[in-house]
Amino acid sequence: MLASLFALLIFPAGLFVLVNGLAYHWIDRKLVARLQNRVGPRWFQPAADMVKLLANEEVLPTGVDARLFTALPVVALAGALAAMIYLPIAGLPPLYNFPGDLIVAVYLLSLLTLCTGLAGAISKDRFSIIGATRALTQLFSYEAPFLLALLGPAFAAGSWQINEIMAYTSSQWLILTQPVGFVVALIGLMGKLEMAPFDTPEAETEIVAGAMTEYSGRGLALFLLGREVELVGGLTLIAAFYLGGINNPFDYALKTLVLLLGVAGVQTLMTRLRIDQVVGLWWRYGALLALGQWLLLLGQRMGT
Amino acid sequence: MDTFLKEGRWSQALEQIKLWARLNSPWVIHFNSGSCNGCDIEILATLTPYYDVERFGIKLRGSPRHADVLICTGPVTRQARDRLRRIYEQMPDPKFVIAVGSCALSGGVFDGCYNVVGPIDAVIPVDVYVPGCPPRPEAIIDGVVQLLGKLQQGARP
Repeated sequence: MLASLFALLIFPAGLFVLVNGLAYHWIDRKLVARLQNRVGPRWFQPAADMVKLLANEEVLPTGVDARLFTALPVVALAGALAAMIYLPIAGLPPLYNFPGDLIVAVYLLSLLTLCTGLAGAISKDRFSIIGATRALTQLFSYEAPFLLALLGPAFAAGSWQINEIMAYTSSQWLILTQPVGFVVALIGLMGKLEMAPFDTPEAETEIVAGAMTEYSGRGLALFLLGREVELVGGLTLIAAFYLGGINNPFDYALKTLVLLLGVAGVQTLMTRLRIDQVVGLWWRYGALLALGQWLLLLGQRMGT
Repeated sequence: MDTFLKEGRWSQALEQIKLWARLNSPWVIHFNSGSCNGCDIEILATLTPYYDVERFGIKLRGSPRHADVLICTGPVTRQARDRLRRIYEQMPDPKFVIAVGSCALSGGVFDGCYNVVGPIDAVIPVDVYVPGCPPRPEAIIDGVVQLLGKLQQGARP
């Protein structure tokens, strides 16, 4: 009882991931700033933002379902945190596992985007509705290639269980044998987190703030925290699957930070894509490339 | 622990943390209620990498629901009056207003026009005034710093 409470509130699915997420968010912003020749935010910036948002008034717009409006951010954050239980956070083996937990973890990570879409759709504001449509369109375009890219290692390991796949990938770097899957998974994670160039759903120069337009204070803070938790979870998953597994905290920090550097580089280099370009990119290239690599693996398996 | 709660030190510490967070994360929204666009260009220049206001935690947000500080430029025209008031009321508490430019302070050259209501503080309460036609980006940053200074001295919640 006490142990599971500790797991839910402190480590891995609680305070630790939240602090880790805030730190990684700061590193991401700082890296982007340095790549743009700026000084960048101070180290406590994301924490100050969160505390300020939590202390601010939460405005309840007229015409929305009050219960749904206040519950959605909580569900989004809870979903992201629940996924952490099945992931090897900080290089320690996942707390719980069962055959097929990879699928559960990936779908728990998608809950945030679904909640974002719903949050935009229940508002009366037109910008929220456009943002929600875009968020869900983007969900349907990146989700399939992302899942296919994560199934590559699962297929190679012959298991759907995260710690069994980890045991397999610890002996070899799958980035060498499945480079396409790695790239698709990393770019898919950026789509999931709505980072540039996939920030169409919250494009502030076109649609104010997308689905988040009507959210203020607590609701916004919880959504942003959920996204930071997902950043940690996604980087952990990709590092564990493609970069030779993560077996200790040092390994974890090193590999996820290298991935974060790549993500920040892509964010700086690219400008925002239109929503039709996002869909085209994923279905024309991402999905086909991931599927092609999958067929190649299948053929290899059949051949031997 | 008992005396700790009795003297309200716990809530005092919480207030300190809230104040610290507010001082370090002023998210701004920019609204033009009828200016000639000169001040707006200076505000956009303030947000460029050259001045890099992100190092103070200043961030431009698109939605008034996310913002703490409303940066206003220009005199208030009759058409913009209701919009300005509505945007101000859409912001969550605590909210602050910075009026940028001569027109926002007094109506400037537009004062007395048939379509102009007057300066910003004729419509919504203003916390800090930044004069200039247009003010330089340094002056606008100084305006935000003055607002934070006022906040620190406890001028407003």
